[in-house]
Amino acid sequence: MRRPFSYKLNIFLFLLPALILFLGVLIAPIAMSGYYSLTEWNGLGTPEFIGFQNYVELFTSKSINIMRALKNVMLLALLSVCIQLPFALLLALKLSQHVKGERWYLAIYFMPVLISSVVIGQLWIKIYNPEYGVLNTLLRSLGLDSWTRIWLGDKNVAMGACLVPILWQYVGYHMLLMYAGIKGMPPELNEAAMLDGCTPGQVSRYITIPYIRPILRVSVIFAVTGSLKSFDMIYVLTNGGPNHATEVPSTLMINLLFLRNRYGMGSTIAVMLIVLCFVFALLINFAFKEEK
Amino acid sequence: MKKLLALVLAAMMLLGMMSFASAEDVELTLWSIAVESDASYQTYIDGIAAFEAANPGVKVNHETTQNEQYKTKIKAAMSAGTDLPDVFFTWGMSFLGDFVNADRVLCLDEYYDAYKDDLAKNMCANATYDGKLYGVPYTMSCVVLFANMDLLKEAGWDHIPETIEDMSKCCEDLKAKGIVPFGVSGKELWCLSEYLEPLMIKSIGTQKLIDVYEGRESWDNEGIKAAVTAFQDYVKNEYFDPNAAALGNDEVKTNFIAGKYAFYQNGSWNCGDISKSENAASFKAGLFPVLNPDNASLYELIGGPNNTLAVTATTEHKEEAVKLAFELAKFMSDADYKSGANLPCWTADPEAKVSDLVAQVVDIAGKAEGMVLFGDNFLSADAANTYLDYIGLAFAGEIDAEGFCTGLAAELSK
Repeated sequence: MRRPFSYKLNIFLFLLPALILFLGVLIAPIAMSGYYSLTEWNGLGTPEFIGFQNYVELFTSKSINIMRALKNVMLLALLSVCIQLPFALLLALKLSQHVKGERWYLAIYFMPVLISSVVIGQLWIKIYNPEYGVLNTLLRSLGLDSWTRIWLGDKNVAMGACLVPILWQYVGYHMLLMYAGIKGMPPELNEAAMLDGCTPGQVSRYITIPYIRPILRVSVIFAVTGSLKSFDMIYVLTNGGPNHATEVPSTLMINLLFLRNRYGMGSTIAVMLIVLCFVFALLINFAFKEEK
Repeated sequence: MKKLLALVLAAMMLLGMMSFASAEDVELTLWSIAVESDASYQTYIDGIAAFEAANPGVKVNHETTQNEQYKTKIKAAMSAGTDLPDVFFTWGMSFLGDFVNADRVLCLDEYYDAYKDDLAKNMCANATYDGKLYGVPYTMSCVVLFANMDLLKEAGWDHIPETIEDMSKCCEDLKAKGIVPFGVSGKELWCLSEYLEPLMIKSIGTQKLIDVYEGRESWDNEGIKAAVTAFQDYVKNEYFDPNAAALGNDEVKTNFIAGKYAFYQNGSWNCGDISKSENAASFKAGLFPVLNPDNASLYELIGGPNNTLAVTATTEHKEEAVKLAFELAKFMSDADYKSGANLPCWTADPEAKVSDLVAQVVDIAGKAEGMVLFGDNFLSADAANTYLDYIGLAFAGEIDAEGFCTGLAAELSK
């Protein structure tokens, strides 16, 4: 009679360290953020409990303007799914067809993922420089002077200018995920399709892409949640400027937490981000299940 | 014999340990923003070495963090109340004020008397709360209009314009010669405030500006509107670098030193870099003209003592930490002054050899008829950022002077 109990006890004891780590590193900070989001706190002294006032202020305050930040990350998420992932898929499909120098291309496309966002940000700041930047210099040399812009300083184009390096940086990451999925396919599937007279395009469309659907689902989840959490590149390129035109929830959160000493409101944005990422991950899972 | 030898050796070891303990019995931790690229980096090292030499038995561990990260680090440490340094760098007014309100900082009133001959009471105003001193200022700074006299000469001017009308005329002359009048970073909002705040103080005067900052006077007043209107007129007339929005302050300063702009209005801490340039003789320090002579004079300045050392209330070595704060501040005041990094808060060495530019700024500061600290230091963190946001909006032309004043009045009265 003691055996099942001791068996369960053993399982519990072996899982305990991981459970403690999970609770301490993941759940406790989220719970703490949840608590602080219900308080007015400047980071010093005792937090004052104010209920859901921070949430009300977050969605009604014109100076915080969370809707602008959400609009920016939604645009990024949309472009990630509609431009970045199809492009990554095209690259993965092409590279998996035994092209010459396959390994080299893989390394080259993956390189931006390995380089620090700060370095990439600095590189693009130079590219966008209105005076000596490559972009404006190129436009001027083509006689397109009227197209030159202060790319990171003009509120009408700054967000677009930020999106380009963000999308560019992670193409290689998604490409590698998809490439690994394609390479994991049994070769007989493709061979059988070819024998049946399928063109390479038809093989990709009807065999390869459906086969790597689980990978595509993961890529979409990563792209969307990554867009919602985007921070580093925006921080380096514009820090949310000019005049908050490129603000995303994470830069807004940093601004409120560390520049304005509004730890309660910063925690509110943190909670909102967690909920959004969770909801979007569920929705994407649901969408892929439906297709199944 | 062996036992005796062992006993002697043991006694020697014990004595050695005792002497070692007494030589290193106090270890102080100092946090600052003086990373290697900081203008005060070497001064801190020299000051700490001098302090350790003068105080045998006290060792100072100097931990440095870059400016923005430091703000996060010190706030987080103060918030937790643990692992705090003994002495820390801080800015005056609201920044230190938050820590004082949380009882994290040691009151220095009882120690001040020993240093009062070298550190005037009025220099401590920005580190004084409810009449009690909580920090030791070591340098002060003020907003100065740096001018490239070679470029001004090209436009037919042999002096910095002294009236607001002359300033506009000078800017037009510069533009006609293809020279950009003002260099500013639109990316770093505090740099814009270095242009707007002198206009504000020279429109409404020292006391009224303090009243506005402290909430006794509304932001929605004619004097502030006049200042913002003048500021926006300079933008509309293209007196500022058209690429300002994409430039950081370091780039702007480099451009100014390279001769791209005729004027660069910023803090006096730039004297060191400008003086060290190859064409240092071309530069002169002056002040922005008065906007409304009925309310203000030329020598009403933006700035004041700000860089400060403070002692944490939890330090285990109170006497040594306080001594470090005062002695290091005194050393740095002198050394930073001589290197051109900043103006002194403590009585300066009259024999000190300083660059022409520093001498000009000292002359300006000596004639000061009123001084108001930088708005983003004066106001609380939240209010300061709202204020800077509004300056950014005014610079971008997204709001007019009316919108600036009514908007700030509404936002900051909450």
